[in-house]
Order: sequence, then structure tokens, then C-alpha cells
Amino acid sequence: MDFRKLLRSTRFSPLRPYGTVSREASRIVRSTLRSYYPDAHSGVQALFFILGFGLLVFALVSLATPAQAAPSYQESSEPSYQGDKPSNDFCLACHQEEGIKITLGKESLPVTINPTQFGLSVHSQEGIACADCHTGISDYPHPNVKVKNTRDFTLSFLDTCKNCHEDQYTKVQDSVHQRAFDEGNKNAATCADCHDPHTQTRLTGKTSGELTPSARLDIPKTCAKCHRGIYDSYKYSVHGNALTQEDNTDVPTCISCHGVHNIQDPTAITFRNSTPFLCAKCHTDSTIMDKYGISTNVLNSYVADFHGTTVKLFEEEFPGQPTNKPVCTDCHGVHDIAKVGNSETGIAMQENLLTKCQRCHPGATANFSAAWMSHYEPSPEHNPLVYYVNLFYKFFIPTVLGGMIFFVITDIYRRIVNRAKGVKHS
Amino acid sequence: MSKSTTNFYMRFPVMRRIEHIIMLLSFTTLGLTGLPQKYPTSSIGAFVLNILGGIETLRLIHRSAAVVMMFGTAWHILVMGYSVFVMRDQMSMLPSIQDAKDGIQALLYNMGIAKAYPQMGRYTFEEKLEYWAFVWGAAVMGATGFLMWNPITATQYLPGEFIPAAKAAHGGEAVLAVLAIIIWHMYGVHIKRFNKAMWTGTQTEHEMIHEHPLELADIKAGIADRRPDAATLRKRKMFYYPIAAIVTLGMLAGIFGFINTEETALTTITPLTETEIYVPQTPQP
Repeated sequence: MDFRKLLRSTRFSPLRPYGTVSREASRIVRSTLRSYYPDAHSGVQALFFILGFGLLVFALVSLATPAQAAPSYQESSEPSYQGDKPSNDFCLACHQEEGIKITLGKESLPVTINPTQFGLSVHSQEGIACADCHTGISDYPHPNVKVKNTRDFTLSFLDTCKNCHEDQYTKVQDSVHQRAFDEGNKNAATCADCHDPHTQTRLTGKTSGELTPSARLDIPKTCAKCHRGIYDSYKYSVHGNALTQEDNTDVPTCISCHGVHNIQDPTAITFRNSTPFLCAKCHTDSTIMDKYGISTNVLNSYVADFHGTTVKLFEEEFPGQPTNKPVCTDCHGVHDIAKVGNSETGIAMQENLLTKCQRCHPGATANFSAAWMSHYEPSPEHNPLVYYVNLFYKFFIPTVLGGMIFFVITDIYRRIVNRAKGVKHS
Repeated sequence: MSKSTTNFYMRFPVMRRIEHIIMLLSFTTLGLTGLPQKYPTSSIGAFVLNILGGIETLRLIHRSAAVVMMFGTAWHILVMGYSVFVMRDQMSMLPSIQDAKDGIQALLYNMGIAKAYPQMGRYTFEEKLEYWAFVWGAAVMGATGFLMWNPITATQYLPGEFIPAAKAAHGGEAVLAVLAIIIWHMYGVHIKRFNKAMWTGTQTEHEMIHEHPLELADIKAGIADRRPDAATLRKRKMFYYPIAAIVTLGMLAGIFGFINTEETALTTITPLTETEIYVPQTPQP
């Protein structure tokens, strides 16, 4: 008997949404079926069984529904087949079974899909069918998987996401991950490495399009899957600590600085030269900084200094050319950015700052670090000498030039008057 | 009109004219390459920066021009030494109370209060003002320039704050100097009357009567600078040249030190963190 035809012709799926099928019911159904059809694949068994024991399933399901209260999967009365595609119910009937694996060469690939997790996923909620991505499979037995390891299996879906996510896909083509991949590094992240398609929940607000707070908190963990060393450094930084310990969403996550999808090479000169403006995006924003009592003048004071002037000009005119002048990260750290007031590492302490200076100025001695005005505007309290020099010129320049201009004007006046009178100028 | 074209009076010998050219070129270069560093975000600043090949090139040109000006200054000191110790010229550039009086009288005359314009000697109060302003400027710019050029050496003896203070003073003084030249020098020797003496070296009697009547009177009276006789001159030279040589060596050493005291910064910085990029998390088997 051809079950598929039968299912199609009935236009009726007796299988309730898998999210609501209790595990117990599933177990009973499967074990029963297995005893009847010891050679058949459990999925087909289930379907066959369901046809016969529909009423039982209905009963079990309706009992289980309130207790499970899965928010996820929308109830549907769709048939097991929509056109040529099997419905998700159809697939999950088998794939929700725990511990099922396929063998690829020497590796085994778990093919269990947790119905609850999948039900919470954005793909499930948007009604994406398994078969939309798993295009080669329309019934059982499935065609043989040709790849020989799990990584290649993932990579065999490389272009799948493009069908719906072309923007993101295109951006990724311009990313450091894609470049590494093109250079032969198969470990370089592809879509599914960051976004497990079976469990990926919605990351952005449906109307706002902005990253949701919870998504933001999860980002470093996602990157940590491959960049654990950097994550460990970030975790203890002033930013990472606030994010991981206090769920603070004001602080930058990985993508705040590195971008998402079209992630650029952070060791590139262009990236380095633009660092001050990257940091300034938040650090000149008083709506964020005022909460923490942090100055928003940090970019201005940096650019006003010799180092910052140079970097700004490089960034504007020659973004691809290296400069030996420091950017924010050279003094404050990269992933391990610490509070400046920290007595052990904080660069508000002259001794700590001096070690930063000495990276580029090996001969620098104790007084040298005070040549940097620590982002302060010169004032009688901070850098008074600079303040008074500026004050002096503020009066000295107009006084001298004003005197000169005054004399020149009187001289011009005298010449005009004398010429009118016909007097020769002495 | 008594425009005499027959009587020319030497005003600036060749050496002085060369000094002027050196200072003219180095000053202009310093101003053109310095102000864009003070105002890098202005459109003119950015324009100059670009046509001169960027900030680092600009700094190199600026410092080269500074070295030229240092040589110009050293040369001027030697020439002055020769003038004072060998020729025993009158030190006519030294400022005096009379200059202040002349300045006030000129101003009052212009305003219609005083009856006559002051009569002045070899250097008018306007010229002395400009000269000493230049001396002041060169001293400030040289000192503050040294601090910025050699901050590591400087902070071995001075508080660190002197470096940004030097930068502030250097910038303020630069604005003052450039604008003073534009206002005072442009008006005094280009607009009021196009004074070519610094190029031709001489002035006519007519010009002398109007601008330096007291000097002309001294010349006519025979009490202006007179060339010493050959024997005296030789004796003084014998005395001056060795001293000048030592001073020259000292100044050259000073300029060399100015340029080479320290290698302020490394030209390439080592990357901040040699982080292992790919460190995957390993699930428990």
C-alpha cells in the first residue's frame, strides 16, 4: 500500500502537531508499531499506525495539550503533504525521537529534532517547512547522504539560506569568515554555525527590526563557540562583565564593533584607523554615558591631541595606510578593556599608563605619561599650565594684532586725509 | 619733485638679503605646513594636507623648514657677531625709549593730534617691532618646538604637562606670528609703499629722507658707521673668527641635538594581542 498516496488523497492528517504529542504517547505508538512492522522505518510506521489508531492519538494529544502548553507550534490541520513537500508533522513524527543518528564516514550525525525547541524557532513560527531546506527528501526511505563527515554535511546546505535571506547571505560573501572559507578553512563559520536553523529564535523585534535584549545577551556566547579565547578575555572586561553578569544591554557585544554578517578583518589597517570613531559611537552618546558618569568628550579630546589628530587624518585621507599613532585600544585594551580607575590595571594610574606609553616610546620615564592630558579639557584643576598658556594667547593675540590693526588703520586714514589736502606724507 | 636717482645708500648688504630669503622661505613653509596641523579639520587645512601628501609628509616638511630656520638663525647670530665685534657698527636695532616715543608720536600724527611724523634713524620703530617680534617668536617656537620634537628627553627634566603646554604655546604663537606678518609686514613694506630695499639692497636719497632722515643726516655728517682700517680689521678678525668657529660648532651641535636627541616613537607598533583566533569550545563526549 502506498501510504503517501493514501495520505494525500485523504487531505487529512490525523497526526496532531508534534509539539503537543506527549512523549509517552509517542513511545507507546512507536513501540506498538515497531512490533507490527519490524522492518519498516519508524516514521512510516508511525504514519501507518496513526491511520489505524487515530482516535487513540487524538485522545492522548488532547489530554497532553494543556500540560505541555507549548507556545510554539501553531496547530494546523494541514495535510501531511503540501504539494510535493511532506509537512513538518510528517518529518517530526520520526525525527523527534531521541538518539537517532546517521553515519557519515567515521562520524555520526544526530538527526533528532527537539519538537519544543523547533516549535520556538523563528522558522517554525514563520511556517517554514523542513522540506523547504531539506529539498532532496520527500519521502522515506531518504536518499543516501553522499558526504563523508558532519562538517561537509553542514556545508552541503551552504546556499540554502540564500533563498530567503539573500541580504545576509550577500553580506557574508564580504566577510572575514567567507574569506577564510574561500582560502580553504572549512571551520570558518557559515550561516548555520551561528544560527542553528532548527533552534534559532527570532533575534529582532518584529516591528522595530532592532535586536532584542535577549538576543543581544546571547551574541557573545554564539561567537564563543569558535572564539573562546577572546570570549574569556571579553567576559572579564568592563563591557563583558556588565553583559554577562548584569545583563546590561548598554555595553557592546561582539557585533557592536565587528559588525554582523559582513564582519571585517579586525587586524586590517582600515579597522584600526577607524577604531576611535567606532568607540565614539557609544562614548559620545550622552544617553548611554550619562548613566555611568562617563565623559562624552573623549573623542574630541583625543582628536585634539597629537595622536588623535594623526589618526583622524589617516582615517579620513588614507584609511588603508598604517600609522604608528595609538588608537583607543592601544591604551585601553581590546577585548579586555578595564575601568581606568582600576588600581591594578587602570590607566588613570600614571604607572599603569606609562607602561602603555612605553610600548611605542621605549625610553619614556616617569614624567612622560603626564604629557597625555587624559582626555581632560585643560582647566585650572586639570593641566593648569596648558590652560593658562591658552588663556595667555587668548588675550595676547588680540592685543598685539588689535594694536597693529589700529595703527595700520590710523596710518591709512592719515594718508587719505593728507592726499585729500594735498599734503605730502613725510 | 626731488626724486633723486643718483644717490643710492646701502641698506642691506648681500648677506643680509640672503638671511632674509632664508627666513622668508622657511617662515612661509612653517606657516603653511604648521597651521594645517593646528586646524586639521578645517577645509583649507585638509586641502593643504592633501596636496602636500598627508600629515606625516607635512610634519617632515615642517621640521625640515624648522631646521632651515635654525640654520638661518645661527647664521644671523654669526653675522651679528661680526657686525658688533669686528665692524663695531652701532647697534642700531636695539630698542630704546625713543622708539616708544616715536611710535606714540606716529600714532598721534596719524590721528591728527601730533603735528609732525617722527624722524627716525636706521631702523624705524615699525622695523624694530617686527624684528624683535620675530626674535621673540623664534625663541618661543624653537623652545616649544624642541619640547614637542624631543618629549622623552624633555620630560626627564620637566613635568609631562610641559609637552601639551608647549603645543598650546606653539600653536598660539604661530597664529600670532603669521597674522602679525600679514598685517604688519604686508602693510609696512608692501602696501604703504612697495619697499624693495631688501631685494635691491639700496635706497634712494629720496626714500632715505622720508624714512630714515636721522640716518641720512648721520651719513651726511660723516658720523655713521665707518669701515675700520685694514690693520684693525685684521686684528679683530683674528680675534673673532676662532670664537665664531667655536660658537658655530656649538650651534651646529645644538641643531644636531635638536634633530637627533631621541627616537621619540617606534615607527611600527607590535600588534596589541597575539590572540589565537580559533579556539573552539569542545562539548563533552
